[in-house]
Amino acid sequence: MPPRNHKNWLKVPKIEHISSECYNNHSIYEQEIEHIFAKVWVPMCHFSEMSNDGDYRSTQIAHQNVVAVNIKGNVKVFLCPSIDRPAGNGLDTAGLKELHSEVKHGGMVWTTLDPNPTQSVEEWTCGAFDCIADAIDAEDMEVFHYHKAVIDTNYKLWHDTNSEFYHDFMHYFNRVSGFNDEYFARKNIPFDNGHVNVSSFTVNYEEYDGFEDRGELSFPNLPPNQWYMVDLFPGFNFNLRGSAYRSDTVTPLGPNKVLIEFRGYGLKKDTPEERQTRIKHHNSIWGPFGRNLHEDLIGVAGQGTTMREGTEARNILHGRHENSTIHDEVGMRHYYEAWGKFLGVSPANPLGLATDDVIAAE
Amino acid sequence: MDSESNDMENNSSVDIERKIERIIYQAALALDKNNWADWFKLCDDSFFYAITSFSPEISKDMTYFSGDKKELTGLMEMLPKHNTDHSPLHRHTSVYTIDVSEDGKTAEAVSSVVIYQNMLDGINSHLDSGESRLFVIGKYHDKFVIDGGEPKFVNRETKIDNRRLDKGSHWPL
Repeated sequence: MPPRNHKNWLKVPKIEHISSECYNNHSIYEQEIEHIFAKVWVPMCHFSEMSNDGDYRSTQIAHQNVVAVNIKGNVKVFLCPSIDRPAGNGLDTAGLKELHSEVKHGGMVWTTLDPNPTQSVEEWTCGAFDCIADAIDAEDMEVFHYHKAVIDTNYKLWHDTNSEFYHDFMHYFNRVSGFNDEYFARKNIPFDNGHVNVSSFTVNYEEYDGFEDRGELSFPNLPPNQWYMVDLFPGFNFNLRGSAYRSDTVTPLGPNKVLIEFRGYGLKKDTPEERQTRIKHHNSIWGPFGRNLHEDLIGVAGQGTTMREGTEARNILHGRHENSTIHDEVGMRHYYEAWGKFLGVSPANPLGLATDDVIAAE
Repeated sequence: MDSESNDMENNSSVDIERKIERIIYQAALALDKNNWADWFKLCDDSFFYAITSFSPEISKDMTYFSGDKKELTGLMEMLPKHNTDHSPLHRHTSVYTIDVSEDGKTAEAVSSVVIYQNMLDGINSHLDSGESRLFVIGKYHDKFVIDGGEPKFVNRETKIDNRRLDKGSHWPL
């Protein structure tokens, strides 16, 4: 095949694709805030962050300040225009507008700005958590790690990184600890509402120089050294690697800027030794100084640079069909189908350009 | 104790404090150059390192990174196989306190540290390279063993105030 010139490069591909305009257009970003983030269930924090009566925890959803409050052991969530601290105790909630909320899926506190949600959290997540439910719901969990990153990239590029697995080639750790037949047979499983989960395999941690097998510690009902992933629309990720559990929560700050909050979890009943082991295992891969997270964030920052506003639109191919196995782009296709429905646009032409403006494939 | 002995002891204590101050600054220089071997030479075989922080968000003391000398050596040796942001880090360190034990065999020190990142790559090198950004602030809490009048690190806790760490790093701070 001859190298593509500029004209060929811009032609509509003959396989599934989306436009990079999904990632860098301010109008689309505003629509996402209004039609997606202001409508969906958001996992805003974990119950263990606010476990005492009167504890509160704040966040921002679709530009609105939101606070979750522990009121005698029950969580209530409110719009709170004047909240100025991330956490505390003793917030006066009189006069605040209450939002719908639930504590679900391993103790996450969920809320939605939608005053009339048509689905419960269970209905919204549609079974995407089933693969790890026995592990995260058997015992109370506790947060042991929190940090955040503000990255000049689109929030969906972070979610894409958690959805497509071919970026694993970027991780030396994954190349040596995981690239075997079992890894390549992992399945991407779509669920309604744009969610996807990824089936497990056995990670060989000891293949990385200096690391040891991690089978000594796991989660309830989870065989040792397994790795499951739940990618929840529109940008929330839950990652269970044997001994440690992680969640990522995105808050879009603009078409090319995102706040990502990272949390790590163990079991509330952990002994001090078990907790230390979980923290060490978590940090070695997922901590801010760990082997993989730094590489992932470099990757999406680079993507954000190449696709920032003002750059020429290009097509992002989602055409890999490999029986839903690990590098099949079924998860990406599924996500963007749901995304397009929420916004009423085609991800391949999200600005609705007239067909004359879109160069047809030969 | 006569005044001559007193002076000798005071001089010895001052001498040790100066050596501790010097080794903290030597560590900063070695770390700034990513010269892990020179840094490890300043550390006893029992050395243990950690980056910690307190999160008001989750009301928890946290450990972000930790390892003993053997683990750290292995992790640094593996770095060429990884994708790392090579923007240099510059540590501005001020030694605040040094406390030498009564028997003169151990010491502890607390230093302020401000780490700047001089942008090189990783995001938009055309725009960003050459710019310096504040990376983290915090304190070094160091412990030393003193053998033959020479201090060596046995423990360093880099206690940072940051919970926002953006791309993070593969390097000890």
